[in-house]
Amino acid sequence: MSTNGTGTVSTGSGQLAWVFDLNKCIGCQTCSVACKVLWTRESGEEQQWWCSVNTQPGLGTPKGWESMGGGIDVATGKPRAGHQPTREEFGGGWDFNYYEVFYGGTAGKAHLEPQAPRENRWAMNWDEDQGAGEWPNSYYFYLPRICNHCTNPVCVSACPTGALVKQEDGLVLRDEDVCMGDRFCMEACPYKKIYFNYERHVAQQCIGCFPRIEAGVAPACVRQCPGRAVFIGRLSDEDSPVHKLVNEWKVALPMHAEYGTRPNVYYVPPMSPARLKEDMSIDTENPRIPNEYLESLFGPDVHTALGTLKSEMEKVRGGGKSEILSTLIAYHWTELLGPFTQDPAELTPVS
Amino acid sequence: MKIAKISGGASLADPTASAWASVESVTVPLQPVPLDAQPTSYIREAWAGRSYGKTAQASVAAATDGQKLYVRLSWKDDERPNKEFQDAVAAVFPDGGGALGTLGDAEKPVAVWFWENGRSGGNSLTSHGPGVVRKDPGSGLAAAGELAGGSWNVVFGGPLAAARSGRVGVAVWNGSNDERGGLAAVSRDWVSLEQA
Ligand code: SF4
Ligand code: SF4
Repeated sequence: MSTNGTGTVSTGSGQLAWVFDLNKCIGCQTCSVACKVLWTRESGEEQQWWCSVNTQPGLGTPKGWESMGGGIDVATGKPRAGHQPTREEFGGGWDFNYYEVFYGGTAGKAHLEPQAPRENRWAMNWDEDQGAGEWPNSYYFYLPRICNHCTNPVCVSACPTGALVKQEDGLVLRDEDVCMGDRFCMEACPYKKIYFNYERHVAQQCIGCFPRIEAGVAPACVRQCPGRAVFIGRLSDEDSPVHKLVNEWKVALPMHAEYGTRPNVYYVPPMSPARLKEDMSIDTENPRIPNEYLESLFGPDVHTALGTLKSEMEKVRGGGKSEILSTLIAYHWTELLGPFTQDPAELTPVS
Repeated sequence: MKIAKISGGASLADPTASAWASVESVTVPLQPVPLDAQPTSYIREAWAGRSYGKTAQASVAAATDGQKLYVRLSWKDDERPNKEFQDAVAAVFPDGGGALGTLGDAEKPVAVWFWENGRSGGNSLTSHGPGVVRKDPGSGLAAAGELAGGSWNVVFGGPLAAARSGRVGVAVWNGSNDERGGLAAVSRDWVSLEQA
């Protein structure tokens, strides 16, 4: 995506931020497919999922991304070396043995499987619904991810050609005419949310649907979510649910804040039922999703956030009202869209 | 080094053409672009403990058919496989007055003819430092490379005007070692280009 030649595009000012409510995300992949259909349908973009949804705990996409380094050392302010994710770690679309299974006379013997060596099999959502834990305390939840349009974007500062620019609205956009395909951004990004187009020899990532934003339309991942789980808005807008959830009520948290890039995608952490003890009695002290695991993703503030959600729920059960829960429920879906409520169907599409 | 005059220039574009056998070539020692000259703190941090630019030498030959300048660069391949980064090479010209060892700087650029394995043609670039490059579209630069007997032979065919400065340098990127941008081996000195 090229910018307008001056290196900037205009969607207004003030950092744009997303909130994904992990208690409402059903892992349906509508957001990721909506994004794919809109932006990465061309040849060379097959393995690109600017929006991806993974089952946690899991290795995610690219495979094992949380162990790939990058980001900024919070203590020293220096960038940290990162791993360049490979084609295998992203995985891809596979050819399957359809002919053998459907027409090969192999009923009961052959089953559908990718035509790739077993050790190389991976794709965006390969470990779907695996999760962790043992019955009856197994657990998992879904984690949608996009580029975090970070406040301290190490991808921008790593790039030698100046192809990446942090815009006034906080979006991090790349001028593909300037990108030389050196991929230092991919190494440096700790969230591993940059993809390489081997055909056009440029790196690519989520563009925050800026052409939609410019036209007042919410990004595809937000507008298409059937779970009403995704909010967008400007952090500085005090009326925005994003501002309230993040700054005021502190129930939406950044993921891996220790990566040092100050991400602008926030998550309402997942609540879970109580564990069952060995005698099958309810262990009210311990949730199914271990607190330590959530802390490893969302930091120590996750306990306060979960505590707030819990007490708000109790308040409502007792007949009270909760602005926090009403906001999260989003009784009318346009509440999720911030100022970007324009119906795209009413606009003339550009090619 | 003399620019050889060859008639029937079309075959010079082919790095394996027999016409090149009769052209004088010069072997030049290469050295890494210094780490402290690398343009971003990320690159300086991430590559502080990694060696790069270890391609020791390359040979340069130049010829013309009176229309175009052909520069042929050859060096020994590092055969380790790497699916992400490719071997690449550049002919560097001092237009702009920049230093060869850092591939120019913010004030004084160098002109670069760039070829990368697996991508068609060549790219004409202005380099303001290691990896700090801009594409110069419509430069009429052609390039072709051939790996033979464990060595790369790459020929650039571009405007004859590039020889006007009378000097050329070489930069080599070892894709096996993830080298790209400013992580290159560059010739220590310019090689003179004399009209025959
Ligand atoms: S569309 Fe909404 S519910 Fe479905 S996976 Fe994406 S965020 Fe979750
Ligand atoms: S998530 Fe990665 S690519 Fe996106 S702005 Fe942050 S550092 Fe850059």
